Amino acid sequence: MFSRIGYAFRETWESFRRNITLTAAAVLTSAVSLLLVGATFLIQRAFENLLVQWRGDVEMIIFVRSDASAEQVALIDSVLRASPTIIDADKLRYLNKTESYEEAKRIFAGDPVTLGLLTPETIPTQFKVVPLSDDPTLVRSLSDQYRTLPGVEAVALAEDEFEVISTLSNFIRVVTLITSLVLLLVAVGLIWNTIRTAMFARRREIEVMKLVGATNWFIRVPFMLEGLLQGLIGGVVSCGGLWLLNSAWTNGVTGFKPGTGISSLVVPDSYLTSVMFILLGIGAFVGAVGSAIAATRFLDV
Amino acid sequence: MIRLENVTKIYGTETVAVRDASFDIPKSQFVFLVGPSGSGKSTLLRLINRQEQPERGDVWVAGQNINELPASRVPHLRRSMGNVFQDYKLLLNKTVFENVAFALEVIGKPRHVIDRQVPIVLDLVGLADKQDRFPNQLSGGEQQRVSIARAFVNRPLIMLADEPTGNLDPNTSEGIMGLLDEINQTGTTVVMATHDHRVVNAMRRRVIQLDRGVIVRDQERGVYE
Repeated sequence: MFSRIGYAFRETWESFRRNITLTAAAVLTSAVSLLLVGATFLIQRAFENLLVQWRGDVEMIIFVRSDASAEQVALIDSVLRASPTIIDADKLRYLNKTESYEEAKRIFAGDPVTLGLLTPETIPTQFKVVPLSDDPTLVRSLSDQYRTLPGVEAVALAEDEFEVISTLSNFIRVVTLITSLVLLLVAVGLIWNTIRTAMFARRREIEVMKLVGATNWFIRVPFMLEGLLQGLIGGVVSCGGLWLLNSAWTNGVTGFKPGTGISSLVVPDSYLTSVMFILLGIGAFVGAVGSAIAATRFLDV
Repeated sequence: MIRLENVTKIYGTETVAVRDASFDIPKSQFVFLVGPSGSGKSTLLRLINRQEQPERGDVWVAGQNINELPASRVPHLRRSMGNVFQDYKLLLNKTVFENVAFALEVIGKPRHVIDRQVPIVLDLVGLADKQDRFPNQLSGGEQQRVSIARAFVNRPLIMLADEPTGNLDPNTSEGIMGLLDEINQTGTTVVMATHDHRVVNAMRRRVIQLDRGVIVRDQERGVYE
């Protein structure tokens, strides 16, 4: 058993050295495509920071002054519930100070200055309003009415803030996803070709192996291992690249004017780590698929 | 040991390589397959180690119908056979020792078995002192001995030799034939395809003659003709 494992690793390493240019091309392509996949994840997550307050079809947010009395809050609530044909009373949510502060932490993730100005005591609380009607003018006319209620600090409409970002984020997601998928396919193809070349270079050995009764799996495994390793190394490289990109962005973002929204576009480290694991997984998978196709296709008994 | 029953092999749609061939080779026999190039000798050998499958008929090896063998069992069938070729099929980047060891390595034999078996078989073929040479540092005859050692190191039941003396001069051929004879004496069934009159006539063993894929003669203690 150990001699078999040793054999597989020796052969894999040998083949790596012999095919260094093709291997490098395959590794780099998978790295670049995986980097794009990773970037897609991060961009998506970053935009979510901006969109988090509008999650769940929320179209209108009524911000309540932090010093508003409980009676004022109750009044706003009852006024909102007084229009059951326009506002979905079941989905109406009130975020107290703690909840609002938690949300603010995400919105101002990359903007410590603004976040520092907010405390759980001074933060406005908010009502999240989900309208029943699709008619935006109806919601807008209501918003003008709510603005005048006592204790209301501001009323924000998704239409004004959310739509542009949402459209932009969807567009970026689609473009990066398609590009990375195409590049991943190219990576599979390149790995496939590298393995095919490696097998061609060793066709005499393969012929002898078959004649002396080596099993197909025994012959295949070193090649599949080689492809898997190429994908995995591509994954490692892409992780490094992603880390560099994210660090540069996170550092650069603090230079933007606070409150422009750009500073929200950062991701927590824990998320970055899980994306890296995903990239390693995809890399290994891509390598295994490319080499498995090659090893099966060119190894008919 | 080897039995063919009405075996027909067709390449493509109409090239009949072997037509309705039947014979029975008992254990420990030494058999020559003779005939001009393209008469189907090599195809018969390839049918026996299941590199090819017949269109009609059955091939039996050691009591098993090998055409009904699932693909996953083919490697195990091949471990009971040694193959020797006209062009030796040695791996040029490996030494004599490594070439022979390779055959054991790739069927998962442990190192200590390899280290014990390879010197024994190299001694048998008379190359004990050249085990660290590379194939291109050897003469043709010596290379063929390495390839015989590789075929025999796993002690196969059957040895299939396809024109093993085809590239060798008469003296060297004689040595190779002596070696195959010796292997045959250990109880290994030997099937050798050849068009070398001299070795066939010198050995006087069973001769199966082919002509355009058809067996035209099957004679004990035969000559080439």
